[in-house]
Amino acid sequence: MNMASAPAEIVAEPLLSLSAITKRFGNFTALSDVSLDIRPGEIHCILGENGAGKSTLCNLIFGVHRPDGGSMRYRGASFQPSGPADSLAQGIAMVHQHFSLVPDMSVVDNVLLGRQRGLLNRAECARQLEKLAVDYGLPLDPFAKIEDLSVGERQRVEIVKCLIRDPSLFVLDEPTAVLLPDEIAALLDVCHRVASSGRAVVLVTHKLAEIKKIADRVTVLRGGRVVATSDKPAAEIDALVRAMIQGNVDTLDQSAASILGLEPVKHIGHGTENDNTPKTKVEALQIDGLTVRDYQGVTRLDNFTLTVDRGEIVGVAGVEGNGQSELTAVLAGMMTPSEGKIYLGDINLTAKSPKEITAAGVGIVPEDRHAVGCVTGMSLAENIYLNRLDEFTRFGFLQRSALEREAAALMQRFDVRARGPGALFSSLSGGNQQKAVLAREITLPNLTCLVAAQPTRGLDVGAVAAVYSHIRAACERGVAILLVSSELDELLTVADRIVVLYRGRIMGSCVADPDRREAIGAMMAGQPQ
Amino acid sequence: MTWELFAVFLGSSIRLATPLLLAGIGEMVSERAGVLNMSIEGMMLTAAFAAAVGSWATGDPMLGLLIGIIAVQPIALLQAVLSNTLRANQIVSGIGINILVLGATTLAYREIFGARSRAEIPGLAKIKPPLLGDIPVIGSAVFEQVWLLYAGIALIVATALVLRYTSIGIAIQAAGAEPKAVDKSGLSVTRIRYGCVLFAGFMASLSGAFLSIGDIHTFTEGMTRGAGYLAIASVIFGKWRIGGTVFASLLFGAATALQFQLPALGIAVPNALLIMLPYLLALLAVGGLVGRQLAPATLGEPYRR
Amino acid sequence: MTTTDQQPSSAAKLTSKFGFAARPALLVPVLAVAFAALVGLALIAAIGVSVPNALAAFIDGTLGSPYAIAASINRSTVFALVGFGFVLANRANLTNVGGEGQIAVGGIAATAVALYGHVDGLPLGLAFILPMLAAIIAGALWGALAAVLKVKSGTNEVISTLLLSFIGVWLLYWCVQSPALLRKPMTSSATLPESLEIPDETKLPLLTGDYSFPLHIGLPLTIILAIVVAVLLSKTVLGLRLRAVGLNPVASNRAGISYTRTVIFALAMAGALGGLAGALMLQGEQYTLKDGFSSGYGFDGLVAGLLSRGSVTGVIAASLLFGFMRSGGINMEMVAAVPTALVVVIQGLIVITLAGATLFIERWERK
Repeated sequence: MNMASAPAEIVAEPLLSLSAITKRFGNFTALSDVSLDIRPGEIHCILGENGAGKSTLCNLIFGVHRPDGGSMRYRGASFQPSGPADSLAQGIAMVHQHFSLVPDMSVVDNVLLGRQRGLLNRAECARQLEKLAVDYGLPLDPFAKIEDLSVGERQRVEIVKCLIRDPSLFVLDEPTAVLLPDEIAALLDVCHRVASSGRAVVLVTHKLAEIKKIADRVTVLRGGRVVATSDKPAAEIDALVRAMIQGNVDTLDQSAASILGLEPVKHIGHGTENDNTPKTKVEALQIDGLTVRDYQGVTRLDNFTLTVDRGEIVGVAGVEGNGQSELTAVLAGMMTPSEGKIYLGDINLTAKSPKEITAAGVGIVPEDRHAVGCVTGMSLAENIYLNRLDEFTRFGFLQRSALEREAAALMQRFDVRARGPGALFSSLSGGNQQKAVLAREITLPNLTCLVAAQPTRGLDVGAVAAVYSHIRAACERGVAILLVSSELDELLTVADRIVVLYRGRIMGSCVADPDRREAIGAMMAGQPQ
Repeated sequence: MTWELFAVFLGSSIRLATPLLLAGIGEMVSERAGVLNMSIEGMMLTAAFAAAVGSWATGDPMLGLLIGIIAVQPIALLQAVLSNTLRANQIVSGIGINILVLGATTLAYREIFGARSRAEIPGLAKIKPPLLGDIPVIGSAVFEQVWLLYAGIALIVATALVLRYTSIGIAIQAAGAEPKAVDKSGLSVTRIRYGCVLFAGFMASLSGAFLSIGDIHTFTEGMTRGAGYLAIASVIFGKWRIGGTVFASLLFGAATALQFQLPALGIAVPNALLIMLPYLLALLAVGGLVGRQLAPATLGEPYRR
Repeated sequence: MTTTDQQPSSAAKLTSKFGFAARPALLVPVLAVAFAALVGLALIAAIGVSVPNALAAFIDGTLGSPYAIAASINRSTVFALVGFGFVLANRANLTNVGGEGQIAVGGIAATAVALYGHVDGLPLGLAFILPMLAAIIAGALWGALAAVLKVKSGTNEVISTLLLSFIGVWLLYWCVQSPALLRKPMTSSATLPESLEIPDETKLPLLTGDYSFPLHIGLPLTIILAIVVAVLLSKTVLGLRLRAVGLNPVASNRAGISYTRTVIFALAMAGALGGLAGALMLQGEQYTLKDGFSSGYGFDGLVAGLLSRGSVTGVIAASLLFGFMRSGGINMEMVAAVPTALVVVIQGLIVITLAGATLFIERWERK
């Protein structure tokens, strides 16, 4: 492994080389002095935590942003793309982290967008798609509408959109986050086929398993800088991880380490330290036959039945888009179920308003923090007590000083770092925002049940550990916890029991035992066990 | 009701629907690309005025029409710059343009014609298409219309074909539904949206010219009287589809035509109620639709990378 | 201690040589008005009127007599009320462009109660208060109608309030056209389509009792409402809830703040203020209801609200500006033969300039 300053060994003429690239957004430096080479025929992985600058790097290569310093060379010539059109014309194609497909158009129309002038020749395009399907193992119905496709199929569309252009450089930005284990394997296979035809593949990821399996070379980013590179990544994985998180792997929280793929997943559940606490089962949350049909009549959640006891963590596993969002939305009172009942103890919470649900003692950490969890344009203090403003009201007037005092105390308890309670919520980092949302929900005076959906998404390792220690502490206090996550490793580590959602139905359930990994993975793919 | 009266009603419904139809289709295209033009009203008024003045000054209604079309393009360009480049609030800027145009046309009209003039202005010719126009009883009453209507119908058919079968068509729809996809495919969202606003301006200018030199051969201050807003309502009611927008325009046109038909039938309904009817209908139409899922996803939002 | 002022506290401040800290949010509207006024002057010159003469007529119409001053201020209160309503609803991210219709229904309700509500004999000022209350309720219902459509079917409130404006204006026309409604009894075929004049007891009391300076109690009322609205927006939980719903309705709903109630409240309040504005116009100025009653004041109030960038003081400043501009404009037309439409042109330019400048103001404040 070469640390950043060491000269890289020249193997072949690089296809793309970046030297001393710097990119700033306002006062924030996203990339600083980044240099790297991409060679033809290689799979080059870019490894880094959230916020390390990986996506910014991709966007610079693809011409979405322009660098503030440094230079790029592509095929031996200076390369200054003025926009995606430039990069595309030069043979660079990119699959973005977030899909950019037009939902109410067909696969063919999405592929043709920007590629053809004048009259559309849809039949010809469909033929090309069929050929690609054979060459790369990417089957697709060319005339299906995007909105009818699964997440995995949508990503296939993004990939064929790139491949149909026959690119020399193929960039994939965190492509595996939304895929099933089988689909991940298929995607990595596509990368292999592309690279073996002499093109270069850049794969951005934070998953070490993928790197071990596929990477020819790795560049590690941290805080916008290149902190390590490796030509033999499979052998040097530990060092790469250390570089990525700048810490000692041993001191990492077990759950955080498992999520990173650093350590074999080991169930720790809750209460491992004091197992002698009496385990009388007290049912807290009872969900009975919950069914949600959307406005088109499509069943999104189908007869979901589950009981969560006090002091128990139940994990809901599944690939995203299989009913998890509907489940949490219904539990949060944001969506009315078509059928079924929800009880908290004796209290009927079916189709109750968010206010009543909160009052009953159910805390909700929503999956989409920005859309549902907070009001980014308001202050931290206002956000922390948004659901309990009445406590700070006298004669209709807001007692702002009391509000900010209380909020400051909570900030300290939950280690929320900000300029002060009056800081604008949007000025906080993702991890601190999530801690603030968690603080609000977990400090509800009569909390008996906590529903947390994807609570660690997009957080760095330290924040992940903090979130889990708070969730476990709540559990120890006897709170029933429903944890919805698409990271199976996370659930295997933290939960007591796992149920698997597939197309809105429970495919099966089992104890959270790492040995059951394969079985759970199969259930996630829709095979009943 | 006799067949003759019904034919007259049908004919005047179509005539009164024409401005909504023309402006509505232009606005629909623009909204499909993601830009809401509240300024349709102002664009129509500009064209109505410029076409009237042009036709009066040159004596040639064709030149008047041309002047009307040309006069609207700067207004449409202004709206496009505000909506896209300056990322202004599209509703506020549109209403601002309407206020400006209302003041400016009134001012200019008084300067040119004086306060109370009702100068007769040469208007566009009517045509009676062969075959359809020869149908007994209804032929003349329904189909003898200003040629601009037939030109408009041709334009609408062409628009439908472009949207369905060409690359520009899918780019327009994508620009409203998922502008990122357009940007990443190498096309310019800004250019597409500019083009669509200018097209909306072009259609609005035909619509405005139809009002002044097509329909009544004169200009009155603020003569659009909210027709632009009705055109926007017909886009919403038509669920952003060509067929729906055409249907909504005809419905509002028929509601307006009742103003003249009911008194002719001897049915006494207060005049004010009949004038109100299209607006009331539009309100019920847009209020009766549930949900927003039909609107282009980024309607009204300027695009930012 | 940090503050949670809406403007970032690090906003760039331009300190001029007078030691006056100018924020772009303040400077840009002033520049926009100045620019529009310059265009107005150029237009006056372009239509061949002597600019000094026109200006003299303008100033004479605004400040030339106590009567002119009082009339301008009375008009400004109407704009201000509509503007407050706009700002209040806008705090919840709602754009109320229905001032014109709210004024119309307010005028109808006030006329109906003043003429046929048997209120003229009532003590304690109830004679003029009850018609105002009726106007407030009518306006609130008119505003709430748009809110209900928004909540139930997701209808954009801009479209619905606009259409409701047209409907309100024609409703008023119907009322004064139809003898069965508010039209004065038909004594001859030449009877104008307008209502009777309202009884003297229902007219708003003048502050001085002197008809050469007809400032009425609308002014103190507006000042009180200005304070109420300002306090409501900045100091109360209700204000905070409006802001929360405006910034993120979904998250606010999750936090137990009802979207439905907040939207209905905001638009009903805006409508109530518009309705009250209609009552002031009827009971303080016009005394009879007739076609064209709303006079475009709803749009002037809307522009005042837009200009203010969310501040109550801003509304007051803009309303005074437009109130005096209208008076000056009318006098310019009578004395100097400059059409009042010029004032409309200036207003349109102000709105467009401000809308176009938002990007720059935001960039500037972020620095």
